[in-house]
Amino acid sequence: MAFFFQELVNGVTTGALYALVALGFSMVYGVLKLLNFAHGDLYMVGAFVGYFVIQWFGGPAALSIPVPLVLLIMFVLAALLVGFLGVAIERFAYRPLRNAPRIAPLITAIGISFFLENAALLLFGAQFRVYNTSEFISFSSGIQIGSVSIDAVQIMVLLMGLVLMVGLRLLVTRTKLGKQMRAVASDREAAEMLGINVNLTIAATFFLGSALAGVAGVMAGLLFNQVTNMIGFVAGLKAFTAAVVGGIGSLPGAMLGGLLIGIAESFITGYVSSTYTNLLIFGLLIAVMLARPTGLFGRPQLRKV
Amino acid sequence: MKAYAIVATTALGALILAGCGSSSSNNNGTNAAATKCATSIGMEGPLTGPVAVLGQEQLHFAELALATDNTANKTHITLVQGDTQLNPAQATTVTQQLTSNSSIVGVVGPAGSQEVEAVGPLFARVNMAFISGSATNATLTQGKYPTFFRVVSKDSVQGPQDANYIVNTFHPKALMIVDDQEAYSTGLVSVMVPIFQQAGIKVDHESVSQKVTDFSSIVAKVTPATTVVVLPWQVATNAQQFGRNLAQQHKNAVIFGTDGLFSPGTFTITGSDVSSFGPDITGIPADASIVAAATSKFGKFGTFGPPVYAATHVLDEAIASVCKGGHTPTRANVLAAVKATNEPTSILGQPISFTSGGDIVNGKFFLFKIDSTGKYNLIPSS
Repeated sequence: MAFFFQELVNGVTTGALYALVALGFSMVYGVLKLLNFAHGDLYMVGAFVGYFVIQWFGGPAALSIPVPLVLLIMFVLAALLVGFLGVAIERFAYRPLRNAPRIAPLITAIGISFFLENAALLLFGAQFRVYNTSEFISFSSGIQIGSVSIDAVQIMVLLMGLVLMVGLRLLVTRTKLGKQMRAVASDREAAEMLGINVNLTIAATFFLGSALAGVAGVMAGLLFNQVTNMIGFVAGLKAFTAAVVGGIGSLPGAMLGGLLIGIAESFITGYVSSTYTNLLIFGLLIAVMLARPTGLFGRPQLRKV
Repeated sequence: MKAYAIVATTALGALILAGCGSSSSNNNGTNAAATKCATSIGMEGPLTGPVAVLGQEQLHFAELALATDNTANKTHITLVQGDTQLNPAQATTVTQQLTSNSSIVGVVGPAGSQEVEAVGPLFARVNMAFISGSATNATLTQGKYPTFFRVVSKDSVQGPQDANYIVNTFHPKALMIVDDQEAYSTGLVSVMVPIFQQAGIKVDHESVSQKVTDFSSIVAKVTPATTVVVLPWQVATNAQQFGRNLAQQHKNAVIFGTDGLFSPGTFTITGSDVSSFGPDITGIPADASIVAAATSKFGKFGTFGPPVYAATHVLDEAIASVCKGGHTPTRANVLAAVKATNEPTSILGQPISFTSGGDIVNGKFFLFKIDSTGKYNLIPSS
């Protein structure tokens, strides 16, 4: 039973990360109908921001300010910088193509992804950067229930993931900006005619989605320690899968999809074999698509004729 | 019609340009080579992509060797880079580019055994020597690729040596071995597992992609009886994270890493054992100047750079020997010179000459234990 709970904790933690990245992916798709393949690379940039914050304050073994403050700065700075990077990408790469055939922004998104990966390679080099989290957050600072270990970083990731997901849900359903985002997602032209500033709303969507990816990047750095220019690829792929399983464009779907994939990965590795994890995960994706082509929470698009 | 005209004009222009380019490079290559031993060599490695850290290190050491050898031999050899991304398909494309460049007479690389399998026939077709500093799959030197050489030993040496060391040193009742789904890793696993099973050890064989960075789910499967985890991997930071996940879940298993994990400063899990195809060159007095130059230019380095230095040096010396003999370095005579290599010492602390299959003669592996400061200490061979 302890093994089951250990795998569950591992799965939920990883799933929370996937969910955060998938949320941004899904938000952008919901508003622009754009598969932003550069989204995973924003996560990578966030992870680098977190790494450099640790270095600025003396490195993991000799932080010059209290750890909670470093963590706060890491998360806030990553959210802001990556959020604005997302806005810049939307402004200069996607907006000019808003009325172009849908293949054009898709190819642009792939181009932006390669651009970010290679820009990071040029700026930061190819070597792995390591957070060394255990040097400033001890493994013993977590919870031990029987033989199930939940360390402090996992707890932090779970709590932050939960807070961010609930916060985003409230923002989208209870605020004026959320209402504008839903209106633009529903019908961009009608929203514009009703006086909604569509450009600003789309920019805000990119900011929020990218900021979440930035925060997820810092969390990944704290959890998995290593950062390279390529970590966004797998994260982006998993987030895309999570968004599709949950129903692309649906925020609760992205959250559920992320958690499902994280937990499924963990249990398949634990109870079947790590050899078949990806095979079974993507088999699961195909099964979900066959049973519900729009994903778990997706709605079929109605076309007026 | 207008569109067809544009396409036709563009194609014609491209053909003319290509023709000019190729004829000019051919002329320059031949004339220059004849007068001042000027030629080019290729370097294939994962310069970008998930394991760019290894490829960049290899490139740095190739450049360092070339600069040193050009000065020492008064040659003018230039390096043409090819980024394979550790991907056999990409390696094939890069090899086609390098082999079609007539000024290139030999190649250093590629890095991975799976890539060598993909490009071996292409090099054989043009009779061009290619020397890898890290492809260790045992089958590569069984005659399939007659122009292939390597300056490192092979898995059929490393696998049994490492497996027997684990059996005789740790006496485990159960162990976990995790491959990273690449030819290097699966090749070693296929050699080591039968030895473990023959010794009556219960083996849990797991498999995880090189791109994965979270091992908590696999680590959860490490039972109290599992005293050793064998990681035949190429990405040291992954092994470091695996070690952290073990500590996080309070598991006491010892990690044994194969040569791909020999990376002082990166893989530093206390008590782990690591195999290496070469000694730590920072501990070889004769390599002090190379270590100093590499450290000052590129910073920290691991296990992948020095063998590429050795491979580049072999190729440079082969070209220089052809020139000293009064000949123009061509692919055929450079290949013959590489086959005749007989270096009494090398950066790897051992002589370099090749068997008829392209293996280094008397290749061996070294074992190290990591202490609590992260230092790699050589385990004396018994």
